[in-house]
Amino acid sequence: MLTTIFLLGLLYALFVTVLFLVGLKLVFILVIAFVLLFVQYFYSDRIALYSMGGKIVTREQAPQLHGVVDRLCAMADMPKPQVAIANVDMPNAFATGRDKKHAVLCVTTGILRRLDEPELEAVLAHELSHVAHRDVAVMTIASFLGILAGLLTRVLLYAGLFGGFGGGGNRGRGGGGNAGGQLAIIELGMLLFSAVIYAISFMLIRTLSRYRELAADRSGAILIGQPRLLAQALVKVSGEMSRIPTRDLRAAEHFNAFFFAPAFAKGVSLSSLFSTHPSLERRLQQLTELEAQMGRTA
Amino acid sequence: MKLFDVLLGRTKPAQPNLDHLFGLPGAQITLEASLGLRPTGAAGVCFKPAAGQQFAQTTSEVEQLLDLGEGVKVHEESDSYGYRWIVVEDNDFGDLINEVHVVNTTLEDHGWGPQLLCSVFAFSPIAGGASDPAGAAGGAKVAGTYLVYLYKRGTFYPFVPLPSAEKRDSERERLLNVTLATDLAIEPDLERWFPLWGLPVH
Repeated sequence: MLTTIFLLGLLYALFVTVLFLVGLKLVFILVIAFVLLFVQYFYSDRIALYSMGGKIVTREQAPQLHGVVDRLCAMADMPKPQVAIANVDMPNAFATGRDKKHAVLCVTTGILRRLDEPELEAVLAHELSHVAHRDVAVMTIASFLGILAGLLTRVLLYAGLFGGFGGGGNRGRGGGGNAGGQLAIIELGMLLFSAVIYAISFMLIRTLSRYRELAADRSGAILIGQPRLLAQALVKVSGEMSRIPTRDLRAAEHFNAFFFAPAFAKGVSLSSLFSTHPSLERRLQQLTELEAQMGRTA
Repeated sequence: MKLFDVLLGRTKPAQPNLDHLFGLPGAQITLEASLGLRPTGAAGVCFKPAAGQQFAQTTSEVEQLLDLGEGVKVHEESDSYGYRWIVVEDNDFGDLINEVHVVNTTLEDHGWGPQLLCSVFAFSPIAGGASDPAGAAGGAKVAGTYLVYLYKRGTFYPFVPLPSAEKRDSERERLLNVTLATDLAIEPDLERWFPLWGLPVH
């Protein structure tokens, strides 16, 4: 789950913007931006772990959790990540680290308490897929590019308009007071424009994130061979157990088809544009389709 | 991994590699000669059961196929991690390897290669064998000696659990590693030598 990375990215974007507003030299800002990118890229595992209060656990401390991860890694043929537990009651799990060799897989005590073993395994398979897909590296670089795009637009616009204004001044039209007013309007326009650019890149990154969540769902479900278990875990974690009756998800399939229709008829809502995760309906739909597909072909 | 796959968030399910199973007869001779270990005649194929009717058919097909052979006993077991084991028993080690190979290829032919976790071959000290360098005490202490084959890697690793709860004899495993290095491809990444507590193969 990439929410932590997003919050980091947001913080980082704010920081760069503040630096720019304070009036630092562009080169300076770029250097700082790159240093931050470097830190984020190479220390993402430790930052995320620290922010969640996760502690690395040894095999002796959590033999069952290690056993599950061992087996999943052997099936997926990937190096085993470090395993951590965060003492938080919120049911959550995340994977971090720039590549397979520096990955940390962290689960909260809340998720350990709420999910039964096969469901937990499904969640771990989903998180391992994030590691295999190198999602942290991709998302870090993508959010950095978004910030860079916003910054560059601002700089180019600034240079262009300033040149244009200078030209106007040479023609001798307008007094000093008028020029000051124009400058303020231009400044405001630029601020708006760069905000729009940042918003667009922000949304694009979120779209990318949702796509990658679905990709991880899919790979994780294929790895454990039982999409249904991941769907169960998602429903439990989302705390939306009441939405679906206590029946098996496969039995509820016809019900789901009915249920999903209004969600799509509404079209793209604002909240769906800004969320980092696809809606529960979208994820369950994919998993249900996958389960049906596995039953048909072999 | 290709750049394109990274960008699209795709991974291919790892496919098994069965070729190295046939290095086992050589390893058997080495184990008997230098450590006094002999196959118990039991082996297990461990896999993750997948959803759907097709999979249930495949596993019963495997069992039918092996039940036809002479002197072969097959049964199925589940472990606490939700994996299933097809346990094959045959006193002829060469036949046993072939049968394990059949189980694997049958599962693989039906497209369940990615669900395969490992195959395990059990060994035990020859009764009263003085050739065991660990001595009688060392031999009696361990709960069994296993060679685990990791399909996705095409490598083996030794697993020697101790009878006391969830401990393994790492020293003995390293000794086996050195002994078998010329016969088998041993998994170089020690992180992947995961313990298989309570495995149903004896």
